[in-house]
Amino acid sequence: MSGVTLNNVIKRYGNVQVVHGIDLQIDDGEFCVFVGPSGCGKSTLLRMVAGLEETTEGQINIGPRDVTHMDPAQRGVAMVFQTYALYPHMTVEQNMGFGLKMNGHPSREIQEKVREASSILKLDDYLDRKPKALSGGQRQRVAIGRAIVRGPEVFLFDEPLSNLDAELRVEMRVEIARLHNEIGATMIYVTHDQVEAMTLADKIVVLRSGRIEQVGAPMDLYRDPDNKFVAGFIGSPAMNFLDGQVAGGAVTVPGLDQTVQMNLTLPANETRVSLGLRPEHLEIIPGETHQVELTEALGGVSYAYLVASTGERLIVEERGDQRSKIGDTVGLQFDPARAMLFDTESEARIR
Amino acid sequence: MFPRPIQKASPAAQITYKTLLPISLILWLLPLIAVAIFSVKPAADFTTGNYWGWPSSFEGVTNYTRVFFDSDMPRYLLNSVLITIPTVLGALALSCMTGFALGVYKFRGNFLIFFMFIAGNFVPFQILMVPVRDLTIDLGLYDTKAGLILFHVAFQTGFCTLFMRNFIRALPYELIEAARVEGVSEIKIFWYIVLPIMRPAIAALSVLIFTFIWNDYFWAVVLTQGPGAQPVTAGITSFNAQFGVAYNMLSAGSIVAALPPVLMFFLMQRHFIAGLTLGAVK
Repeated sequence: MSGVTLNNVIKRYGNVQVVHGIDLQIDDGEFCVFVGPSGCGKSTLLRMVAGLEETTEGQINIGPRDVTHMDPAQRGVAMVFQTYALYPHMTVEQNMGFGLKMNGHPSREIQEKVREASSILKLDDYLDRKPKALSGGQRQRVAIGRAIVRGPEVFLFDEPLSNLDAELRVEMRVEIARLHNEIGATMIYVTHDQVEAMTLADKIVVLRSGRIEQVGAPMDLYRDPDNKFVAGFIGSPAMNFLDGQVAGGAVTVPGLDQTVQMNLTLPANETRVSLGLRPEHLEIIPGETHQVELTEALGGVSYAYLVASTGERLIVEERGDQRSKIGDTVGLQFDPARAMLFDTESEARIR
Repeated sequence: MFPRPIQKASPAAQITYKTLLPISLILWLLPLIAVAIFSVKPAADFTTGNYWGWPSSFEGVTNYTRVFFDSDMPRYLLNSVLITIPTVLGALALSCMTGFALGVYKFRGNFLIFFMFIAGNFVPFQILMVPVRDLTIDLGLYDTKAGLILFHVAFQTGFCTLFMRNFIRALPYELIEAARVEGVSEIKIFWYIVLPIMRPAIAALSVLIFTFIWNDYFWAVVLTQGPGAQPVTAGITSFNAQFGVAYNMLSAGSIVAALPPVLMFFLMQRHFIAGLTLGAVK
């Protein structure tokens, strides 16, 4: 078991640089999730750790070993692909044992390890089936089993749940979390789904266009984002952003029809800023400032989609028995301590 | 626009369709029917000029027996088998490897090499007749089965490579990456993963190449002569000399020669059609 260290890792395709100097420390046994919008370089980064993409510059260490220029096979990693990548002509058992068999392990040992993995993943009844005869969730379990069997130092998951339907995704998410608790190996997991990131990760790495935006524990990122991108990306529904301007020691926000007093060092007057408010920190009160455009009732909570007089849209979470209806005219209140302020130009948090 | 079922057409159109279809079918098959009828006629019918009339007697059994026991036909048939099967095996073995290399690896010149394999298919092979014949003579391969096999393999590998490379390209690349991460060597990836998955392509291509090679006449005539090495397609012309022009024997021989690919087609029809479409669609 060992951690993974990335040291100023750069990836270039010809003249196009897609990963710009990533520094990252993933501890032994940690569950690390790379998250970001598509094209942000998260899969490329994972594939560089796996050795499937060459690292143009920088250094990758797994444990104490420098693996930057090693073949995938020598790195002691196992990878689970989005498309499962099961060998279609082999049974579940053969699929799981293939890597060991090719590397000359005795068949007794292979069988033992396959049995062990299949009992962890509840695949015992399917060992003789071909991948074609399995459901999506079962296929993904086989793919995970194939990874477990080899007892790798690091597990790599490349969007493993994206091909599954919503219900199975939740089920497999729990399964992967359980697996991590059970084997306690280092895992790196790539996803664009921030819910998966929030629920699985010990450490989330938010990436945007080949750069790390922020690294931290899920709730730290949620409560204390460094910039507007992370604030908007983590959390569902996303944080509301309203344009504002600093004026006389406070922030004027036309979208709220309010001037907000904030307990932080404000930049110079006239600076354009964004006020960030999470849906659950807003409360609907009687008033005249916003129009309810749409509501989504999910049961325990409802989301009210509001339009401000400036045309800006907000989402507000509502609980309790009194909920707004489409067409209502309402006001908003919130605790200014909960609000976050971002510079419009640099998108950085103003603290 | 769409091919509507004929049952929905007007009665006049239906009648026209139903009469024209058998007529065109007979026209289409006329040469074959003529050969089939010739093959059961006695030789005397041709000397008396009874080409198209009713056979004066049915000599089918005699003709076909003579083809097998009184001519070089068995020799020629054996030659055909001995040429076709190694060619199919050789072309497939080579094209599986070239297809894997061109389909899986990204290297400088990959596309150029692939392009040359394809471009070779567009060269009309007739213009190669004289140089290839000279080359076989220089190599001492003229009028040998080995020479014919070698040149067939060389010419078929281009098309086979195109087919195999496209098939391998269409396979999910993650399969190969998954195996690489598992520490499987490239040669084992080829042998244990890619080859088994390619079985349908191999089956389709072998049927296709079998018929191509069996039916080849051009290279058989250019590169071989006589029963020592000539395959059956060229061999049947020997009836011209051996029995004067023994049309009945020639016809019987032709039918025998045509049977293996026809049988192959009907037995492996599924693969044959797959062979025509696999490369195109995938």
